[in-house]
Amino acid sequence: MSSRTRFRHLAVVPALPRRPGFSRPVRMTTTVVGAVALSLLAGCSSSSSSSSSSAASSASSASSSTAASASPSVTVEAGGSCSSSSATKITFWAWVPGMGRAVTEFNKTHPNICVTQEDVGAGDPEYVAITNALKAGSGAPDVAEVEFDELPSFEVTHNVVNLVPYGADSYKSDFTTWAWDEVSQGSAVYAMPGDSGPVAFYYNTDELAKYHITPPTTWAQFATDAATLHKDDPGAYMTNFAAVDLQWIMSLMAQDNAWPFAYTGGSNVTINWTGPAQMAFASYWQNLLAAHEVNSTTDVSATSFADLDKGIDASWISSAWGPSYFAPDAKSSIGDWRATALPQWTAGADVAANWGGSTYPVFSQSKHPAAAAEFAEWLNGTTASWNITKTAPSSLFPTFLPLLNDPSFKDTTVPLSGSSTPDVAFAAAASSIQGVPWPPFMTEALNEASTVFAGVQNGKETLQAAFTDFQNVLVSYAKAQGFTVST
Amino acid sequence: MSAAVSAVPAASTRRRGRSAWIHRRDRRGIWFVIPFFVGFGLFMVVPLVYAIYTSLYTTRIIGGTVFTGASNYTQTLQSGQFWSGVIRVVIFGAIQIPVMLAVAFFFACVFDLGVAKFGRTFRTIFFIPFAVPAVVGAVMWSFLLEPQFGPFVHVAGALGFRGVNYFSPSLLLPSIIVIVIWEWTGYNMTILYTALKSVPRDVVEAAILDDTPLWKIILRIKLPMVRPAVVMLIFLNTIGALQLFTEPQILEYFQQGAVSVNYTPAYYAWNTAIAADETNLAAAMAVILAVIIVVVSSVSLIFRRRRGEFS
Repeated sequence: MSSRTRFRHLAVVPALPRRPGFSRPVRMTTTVVGAVALSLLAGCSSSSSSSSSSAASSASSASSSTAASASPSVTVEAGGSCSSSSATKITFWAWVPGMGRAVTEFNKTHPNICVTQEDVGAGDPEYVAITNALKAGSGAPDVAEVEFDELPSFEVTHNVVNLVPYGADSYKSDFTTWAWDEVSQGSAVYAMPGDSGPVAFYYNTDELAKYHITPPTTWAQFATDAATLHKDDPGAYMTNFAAVDLQWIMSLMAQDNAWPFAYTGGSNVTINWTGPAQMAFASYWQNLLAAHEVNSTTDVSATSFADLDKGIDASWISSAWGPSYFAPDAKSSIGDWRATALPQWTAGADVAANWGGSTYPVFSQSKHPAAAAEFAEWLNGTTASWNITKTAPSSLFPTFLPLLNDPSFKDTTVPLSGSSTPDVAFAAAASSIQGVPWPPFMTEALNEASTVFAGVQNGKETLQAAFTDFQNVLVSYAKAQGFTVST
Repeated sequence: MSAAVSAVPAASTRRRGRSAWIHRRDRRGIWFVIPFFVGFGLFMVVPLVYAIYTSLYTTRIIGGTVFTGASNYTQTLQSGQFWSGVIRVVIFGAIQIPVMLAVAFFFACVFDLGVAKFGRTFRTIFFIPFAVPAVVGAVMWSFLLEPQFGPFVHVAGALGFRGVNYFSPSLLLPSIIVIVIWEWTGYNMTILYTALKSVPRDVVEAAILDDTPLWKIILRIKLPMVRPAVVMLIFLNTIGALQLFTEPQILEYFQQGAVSVNYTPAYYAWNTAIAADETNLAAAMAVILAVIIVVVSSVSLIFRRRRGEFS
């Protein structure tokens, strides 16, 4: 469902011992005396019970979190008790809240398969656990939630099953073209597409009206409007440019036909952050950043939501799942938010972008690939499942056409948008997205990006310079990993 | 004077040594040490050997695992990113340790003099941050320093410093220094306090009879006498500083991009292993960091042995 940036905050904190230099046994009289004195101190003082219990709890929390980093803490979300004991047992890892409702429904309607859902963490922690299990040779789930950008990392190591022999092709016509492209490689299909995040121009209608601005239809107009707005109110911005959110930047690059990678599987990869299209994209945003005509904080954060709510940012280049993240933080701007198509690079064009979303592959370690595939296909390719997962708390935005084209889905209203129907714009965007080839090392790219692009966020470096640095970092990483790199 | 003080622990060490020698041939003692050696072997020796073994190989996405000998070590030693992290923790330690020890010594003296009311209670309160897990402490401080809602930003604003961002590149290291000082001052103070308590009463009484001013008693008499404890704390804190990890890692969760992947050597090794999936390279980094720490520890042991603190 969603952007990694958001989930990073929720992720299990891996625990290393706290500055372990101190916990080493030291042969020192002073230390021994000190330790004795400490126990005396604890024993004599009036607050002895509280201090010793907090010490005990710190010890237990340390050991439990250490265990978590070795094998992530698992929450069983659904399943576990199936009607038939002879049913084929399937393990499913996912972090979307409320997904267990769909699993329960599947188990009810498929008595010969018993799916158990476990939540081992959102995004990175789950990928680390899967990668470890794949290396170890056992312990991987049969099916797991894997974001679109991470799927090629599992394809390149041949750890996911081609679903075509299990009938995946018959679902092709039920999905948006781009989503099906991103889970396919040649004639093979390596996962079922799940939810997505079509990007739209999500704006505060009151704020724009205040500055006499109508939603821009071209990026040129957007830049002019951003300058006008900031001139009228130096404390306000047209929008926020989240320099350290790589997935977001890449979705905008895709819309600008400036995608920095080419990859079709195997050992050849093209990395190009410094070509003319990429540099033109960088210079467009750098000009706005340099003139302080766009804000430059992190996105999908308490800060950015407060800026949106207070009218400091008049709009958000947001994905379909964005509003549901923003809603809990919105107070004064409830009812003011509208969605419309993204500005275009060429007037009159209709190019959209995708930001986030997940796929559901079956892992090659699975002993029951047929049953696992049947579950993945049902979960993502049936109305019965989507009728559950489209509702809160899952609130998934589909790549599944029967739901995407359903008027009752598009006409949903939410308090944040008053009587307007924002999903009309997001659903329209969903059909004008171009599939993109993700490179098979996105975890590393995302990790490095937060360092490489930090200088852009705090105004110490231009976006063009950051693109050049990023190019060098990724090229040397890909080469070290054995890829043949073209630039 | 200082010779007399250091003679006391030295003598007691010798006494212990003799009694251990008497029982050396008693085999029953083995059963008491076996649990330790099982744990030591499983959780210290085995991981260490495995890390060294892992560091000699390289696993690539394309091409699998191959023996690459010292290449991970040369790559780390030539990595500007790795050494800039090492330099950062050295700067961190050079500021944090003296400040923290000065504060800890001040409060240890206050409690030692007995001039503070409810001294015992306050000592416990000062020690509580040490009992708080570093993760919890860092999360708490992150909320306090948070640029949008954090109370400390408003405090700075009220003092005339508007728009202060404690996570910005120039303030991040000072912020971490403050957090670590908060976490560890109580612990250091407790050790210094117990050391001060072992200063012989008669020495202080003699000084008082000589009309020595208080500051002289503290700085000229007591401080030299607790010098072994201060030296030990300097080395322990240095080792801790070199392994700095938790605080920067937690702060990064609060403001993405604030902490670079190579901020400290331990954090860089972790990022290399987890995000970049270059476990072998990370193992080499960890071994190099361990060697640096072993060197620091050895220097500390040699230094203290020369001073006759123990034999």
